[in-house]
Amino acid sequence: MSKIWKLFVNENIKTWKKLSTKILLIVILLALIGTLGFVKLMQNINSSSSNSSTEEALLSQTEKEIENINEALRNDNLDESTREEYMQQLERCELALEYNVVIYSDYWKAQIVNEIIQAKQLGIDTTELDTMLRKNDFSKYIDFERQKVEQELKNGEISQTEYDDKIFVLNLKEKCKIGESVDDPYWKTQCINQIENLQKSLRTGVDTRTSKALSPEDKQEYEDNIKIYQYRLENDFPELSYSENYRQIFELLAPSMVVAMIAITAMIIAGGAISTEVSTGSIKFWALTPNKRWKILTAKILSLFFYIIVITLIMVVLTIICSNMFFTEQGTEYIYVQDGVLKTIPNIIYMFEMYFAKIIPVVIFALFALMLSVLIRNTAVSVSFSVAIYIGNGIVMSIINQLIQKDWIRFVPFNNLNIADKIFVNADNPLAIMGSSFATSTSLQFSLAVLAVCAVLMLITTYDSFNHRDII
Amino acid sequence: MSNTVLELKNVSKTFGKRKVIDNLSLEVKEGEIFGFLGPNGSGKTTTIKMILKLIDNDEGTIKVNGYDTEKQFEKAMECIGAIVENPDMYKYMSGIDNLKLHARIRNVSKQRIDEVLKLVELDNRSKEKVGKYSLGMKQRLGLAITLLHKPKVLILDEPTNGLDPAGIKKLRDILKEISHKDGVAVFVSSHILSEMQLMCDRVAVIDNGKIVKIEEISSEEEEKTEVLDVKVKNIEKAQKILKEKFNLESKLKQNNIEITVETEKVPEIIKELALADVEIKAVIPKEHTLEEIFFDATKGENFENGKKGGVKGE
Repeated sequence: MSKIWKLFVNENIKTWKKLSTKILLIVILLALIGTLGFVKLMQNINSSSSNSSTEEALLSQTEKEIENINEALRNDNLDESTREEYMQQLERCELALEYNVVIYSDYWKAQIVNEIIQAKQLGIDTTELDTMLRKNDFSKYIDFERQKVEQELKNGEISQTEYDDKIFVLNLKEKCKIGESVDDPYWKTQCINQIENLQKSLRTGVDTRTSKALSPEDKQEYEDNIKIYQYRLENDFPELSYSENYRQIFELLAPSMVVAMIAITAMIIAGGAISTEVSTGSIKFWALTPNKRWKILTAKILSLFFYIIVITLIMVVLTIICSNMFFTEQGTEYIYVQDGVLKTIPNIIYMFEMYFAKIIPVVIFALFALMLSVLIRNTAVSVSFSVAIYIGNGIVMSIINQLIQKDWIRFVPFNNLNIADKIFVNADNPLAIMGSSFATSTSLQFSLAVLAVCAVLMLITTYDSFNHRDII
Repeated sequence: MSNTVLELKNVSKTFGKRKVIDNLSLEVKEGEIFGFLGPNGSGKTTTIKMILKLIDNDEGTIKVNGYDTEKQFEKAMECIGAIVENPDMYKYMSGIDNLKLHARIRNVSKQRIDEVLKLVELDNRSKEKVGKYSLGMKQRLGLAITLLHKPKVLILDEPTNGLDPAGIKKLRDILKEISHKDGVAVFVSSHILSEMQLMCDRVAVIDNGKIVKIEEISSEEEEKTEVLDVKVKNIEKAQKILKEKFNLESKLKQNNIEITVETEKVPEIIKELALADVEIKAVIPKEHTLEEIFFDATKGENFENGKKGGVKGE
């Protein structure tokens, strides 16, 4: 054991004293800095061009619409029904102006304006609604909605479960003050819509969008998703696709970029591990030390793993430092539901787990490069071949998967590389959607088993070849 | 001084269809410098690689210090220090860093590193990168690495490659010192005859994977007889004197008289010849050269480095 340790120390000294290792480190750092610069640039471009619609601008838009309607009404050729519609719209706009309310949103006051118009048509007293508006009383509005739902339940228009769902949504709206102001972010209403959709799907047992019948697993997933949306609303934590949270974009892009660079550097080191020493002849010096060959190889493999782990640790820390230094927004958290209980993984731990989940395929590719290095004994071939496979496997496999639609194709190792997407199933990762369709079709355990078998086979080949072939 | 530390018994190796090493057996004893002489491609390096288990031998056994290299690889290798072909170090590291790598594996102290560096006279340039070393310096550093752990058997494959005459002499002195003083068995392969003659105690000539001859090389002090080339103007008279006064049979070669005499008689013979006024041009002591042995054994095939005669001394 101590012999392997000493060989391991030697291997590390050899690796880190090399100029090329230092250059590779700089390349990895550049990947991180480049990603940071890119995201920052995007942020600057978008922040200068975005003009948020203020309440006044929206109100003047209402005024403009009234003018437009009046213009249209002056036209005598209008038939009765369009004229009616215009009149209604005009009434609504004028009422809105009267109360100084913006009508183009899910703003609660706009809802009440609609209610008032309806009530006026039905000849119901509108003073309650009127005072609600004038007193700017949001909770009263929620109460009003609640009463409406209760009324519907009493009239038998809705079932008990639908009633519960609606009350749930209303409570959520009250609690999170959704729709209270005009500038309410869009994602909140999106969240509420999603919850309502999921509730409806669960009630009917049929997916509202795809009209597929739900399996028990689907139902479980939908319920979990409702909990996640609820958490997002309660904690003011938007999904990445709806937010302008550049920190989260950075935290999404950085691991992908950096891990890709780590993968390439690891393959360069692994691909040269044996073949460089064979071609320069220095391997002879080690082969004739009192160490069996498998010990020399084990030390090499261990030092390769050590390199990958150390670099990854450094890069996680640097990524966390960068995102804290350069972004003021809230960092990415992973939200998931386990056995019906919602759990979160805090930002820092999530970054660590994300990086190391992404590193698993890198280890496989590094072992592959090492195997080629031992078998072919040519650094250029083993490095370029494994890098080419690393970069190209995604595209090639997606084509092959399309062509061969058989069950056994899930055993192909390349279809099991996206470990990170399987661990963080709910992570809102727009990149994962672009991945292969196998990303979700096989389980995490299955993929890990396939990769483990793959690694063992490669190791056996490597050891066998290195132990028995002559060193020339 | 008679323990066998390196023993090859009936070793054979086949590459494809060609039998590279054919039933080779030899023994190297403690404290001797054993030369392994052969033309290019005769199987010198292959034999060395088999001893070091870089290549597996097909047949036969190899024992180092009594340990079978197959069954007790690690124990056998602890007794060996070796340079095969070129001393390949890590060019991006300094000489001392390269040494430290080996020192770690061999459990050698820092003190020993300095000692060895001083021995090969690299102590003042040990911090330079190996990439900047000359070939001779690399050879010396390679030697330092092999000597680190005080091996019982030192195996050197063409160690004088790239060394200048002074370097060769230095190497010879080091090898003689460690073998005769410390009792290290030194196994040196080469195709340069003169070097082997000066360096080795015993020489094996290998050709086409077979040992054709093993020859003891006597050192100067022990030498009792000497071959002299006598160049004189009056050849017949000289021959007559030699025949009558010293009872010596003389051979005539290219107008030179070649005689074999006991070393102590040489001054007397010269004196007599001078007094007889045969007009001596030169009396040249002829080397007991390996060249003849070598050409006899290998029939001169494939031998390119046909350096004539032995160069004695520096």
